[in-house]
Amino acid sequence: MWIDVVVSGLTAGSLYCLVAVGFNILYRPTKVFNFAQGDLVMVGAMASALLMTQWHWPWVPAFAAAAAAVALLALLEERVAVAPVLRRSASGTGWIITTLAVAMIMTNIVGKVWGADPIVVPAPAPLSNDMLGLSAVNISSYQAALIVLTIALVAVVELLYASLWGKATLAVAEDRDAALLRGIDPVAISRWSFALGGAFAALTGALAAPVLSASTGLGAMLLLKGFAAAAIGGLGSNRGALLAGYLIGMAEAASALLLSPGYHNAVMLVLVLAVLLAKPGGLFSSLEARTV
Amino acid sequence: MNTTTSPLLATAPPVRPWAGRLGTVAAVLAALSLPLWFRGDFILFMATQAGVMMLVAIGLNLLTGYAGQVSLGHGALVAVGSYTTALLMIDAHWSFWLAALAGMAVSTLAGLVMALPALRLSTWYFALVTLTFAQVVTDLLVEWRSLTRGFSGLVGIPPPAIGAHVLGPVEVYLAVAACVVLAFLGVRNLSRSRYGRGMVAARDNPLAATASGVSLLRIKLFAFAVSAALAGLAGAFYAVQKTVITPEDFTADFSIFFLLIIVVGGLGRLWGPVVGTLVFFLLPELLGPLQSWRLLIYGVVLLVLMVFAPHGIMGMPVWQRWRKRPVASDAPAPGARAQPVQRLSLAVQDLHKQFGGVAALQGCALVAEAGSTHALVGPNGSGKTTTLNVISGFIRSDSGAVLIGGTDVSGRAPHRIARLGVGRTFQTPKLLHDLSVRDNVRLGGFASERASAFEILFGLPRARQDQRDGSAAAMTLLRFVGLAERADDLAGDLPHGQQRLVEIARAMAGRPSLLLLDEPAAGLSMDELDRLGALIEAIAALGTTVLVVEHHLELIARISRSVTVLDRGRVLTAGTPQQVFSHPEVERAYMGREGTGGAR
Repeated sequence: MWIDVVVSGLTAGSLYCLVAVGFNILYRPTKVFNFAQGDLVMVGAMASALLMTQWHWPWVPAFAAAAAAVALLALLEERVAVAPVLRRSASGTGWIITTLAVAMIMTNIVGKVWGADPIVVPAPAPLSNDMLGLSAVNISSYQAALIVLTIALVAVVELLYASLWGKATLAVAEDRDAALLRGIDPVAISRWSFALGGAFAALTGALAAPVLSASTGLGAMLLLKGFAAAAIGGLGSNRGALLAGYLIGMAEAASALLLSPGYHNAVMLVLVLAVLLAKPGGLFSSLEARTV
Repeated sequence: MNTTTSPLLATAPPVRPWAGRLGTVAAVLAALSLPLWFRGDFILFMATQAGVMMLVAIGLNLLTGYAGQVSLGHGALVAVGSYTTALLMIDAHWSFWLAALAGMAVSTLAGLVMALPALRLSTWYFALVTLTFAQVVTDLLVEWRSLTRGFSGLVGIPPPAIGAHVLGPVEVYLAVAACVVLAFLGVRNLSRSRYGRGMVAARDNPLAATASGVSLLRIKLFAFAVSAALAGLAGAFYAVQKTVITPEDFTADFSIFFLLIIVVGGLGRLWGPVVGTLVFFLLPELLGPLQSWRLLIYGVVLLVLMVFAPHGIMGMPVWQRWRKRPVASDAPAPGARAQPVQRLSLAVQDLHKQFGGVAALQGCALVAEAGSTHALVGPNGSGKTTTLNVISGFIRSDSGAVLIGGTDVSGRAPHRIARLGVGRTFQTPKLLHDLSVRDNVRLGGFASERASAFEILFGLPRARQDQRDGSAAAMTLLRFVGLAERADDLAGDLPHGQQRLVEIARAMAGRPSLLLLDEPAAGLSMDELDRLGALIEAIAALGTTVLVVEHHLELIARISRSVTVLDRGRVLTAGTPQQVFSHPEVERAYMGREGTGGAR
């Protein structure tokens, strides 16, 4: 029974981690925590689900198309909702409200266009959602692949940030003006980060769809879970997000077993508050969380 | 001061003519009586509902508009207040009034437990934690069936009663209206008091707030507690007005509505929540067939307003004409500035501070006698500002001690050090650009005003006294720095040199025993420089110990009794200005003579 908790915790936790990594990609250079990130994931899930189930595209082009579309959407968000607010006041927090507004707009447009019913998405071709016939562990091949793939993706993102581009991003995060003097264009870095964060969100959505189904409700749900993973793991730390994702996933699965499935958010909130109280920067903070 | 007005109306600066104030009261009463003239209960029901929403919005405006903390969970706080009140009335047969108090208390406590960890961090942490909280409350209303009755909700909530008299819809409306008026006046009083200035400072310039003795965490918690209590009260009325409450009443969108209301009305504008609520209730009528696109339209409205009109309807230039021009009360406050301050000496011992690979301080030390002016000089990068930051608590040194009046303050939080009587200015003036010059100066008096929040909320005598004294003291200080005629201009509109002088006046408003000035002469004109010299001499004459970081040698020679020269974090020499400036090492390091690389 407890092994099931571990399996479902790792599966859900992998998805939460991916959302949190999306937050990190955007947050590092821009210091903007995108409230529409959950809905970017949702659009990615809906788009890939539509392409695969209605238009019968194979999964590779479907994922790629979804990633490209959501990357554009994120760029649009940056231009329309984030850049103008930051231009007026770089330290202001108007972007909280504007990115939230973008989330509302996306949820409602997608809801109007595709309806409220969740779209059930099969696992991509060689994998399946059927349980593997292992004696002790109930796990599907897709779940196993998702868990492994998440670890690989975190590693890839970490490598990317170790590259020159990644260092430029960190330089912008550290000091925009100083980076500008070194020939790094913070505006370009911001835009690229939004595009990359959008593409990553779409990928997260496409990967989540076979597990969670694609529906408009995904956005709000994953915003909260992703935030919890980012806050507990330490904002900016992708490895922290991975472990925090697992922690939240397993705490949820355990509380579903012991209490009732309806309490999963309450358990998560308690975890977040406890961690923030004890370690405001999160468990594995790499960027210094700005405490008062 | 007029003694016949109600105390609540009397806290405004005593400037508005009688007729104007009576006119406002009459207009408000007329507007409030409007719903009573309609036949049927619908208008009355809607008006009561609008009053309930307004109550929440007024509180949220204090938190989000003034203190700058975006809450996405106020709908949940209303739900908590509503369920608490209803359960106590149904199950425990409490009277409405007691139950409503309990509802306010429970909302506030539940909110504080949630808010405390997040308020220590960046604003958006708070926004997301409140969003999560809203989701959790929505879940629990359904899940915790033994308490909340699940989906079916609570039915048969009795109407409020006074003794044996049961209140009808009209009386409930009047009660809500009275609460709205009281909440409006209370928040108005708060926003004009030191709390309001502290909140705006915490929002726009946390460093300025801290340097003035404002505890960022406490002021945010305070704003949150007030807004949560109002949300709880609104919830209590919501319950008795609807008589049935279910989880459906408190969806996630419910919280967003309040945010929409205050953004539409104008964040941080007194009348914003009132105007916003009216628009919010009229909007669905205007939308007509577009009703089903409501949420999408709300999203677009939020986005467009925040990008193009971040101060909402009440922030539009049309209203500028209505802003009253306060007549500067020119009567000098008797004795407001005459008393000398408590004299404190300053001693800095063996400070070390490492920033990554850079050793900013390597044994910095200085002594300033109580009531003297001491200058700290040295080439750029020699650790002068770092020393100032360590003394005022903004940076914690790796080792060493800072003694102020003999007390070791190293490691104390900056706002605590400020409260000991330590004022400071910054290299680039940190003013609140959206507040008047006078209010900027009054921020400096944050710690020295005496009225409690309760007294301010209800406009009690001591609060009015503080208001008068503070305003007069600020004017005296502005005359002191020569800017009295600009008292009512926005601080952001002042040229750089004048902003420096305002910042000095702000530091002086806290009646500091120790004043730290960071390059006060930088960017000043010759004329302003003269005035600055006289100003610092006048400050020292009050008994204040002054530590000034400065490059301008003539100024230093004029004002300071002793000088310490720093070079690369170490003390090069110290003594009187004459001794120090003729020291050969100083000439080499500080003046850059002989080119041996002391100054880079």
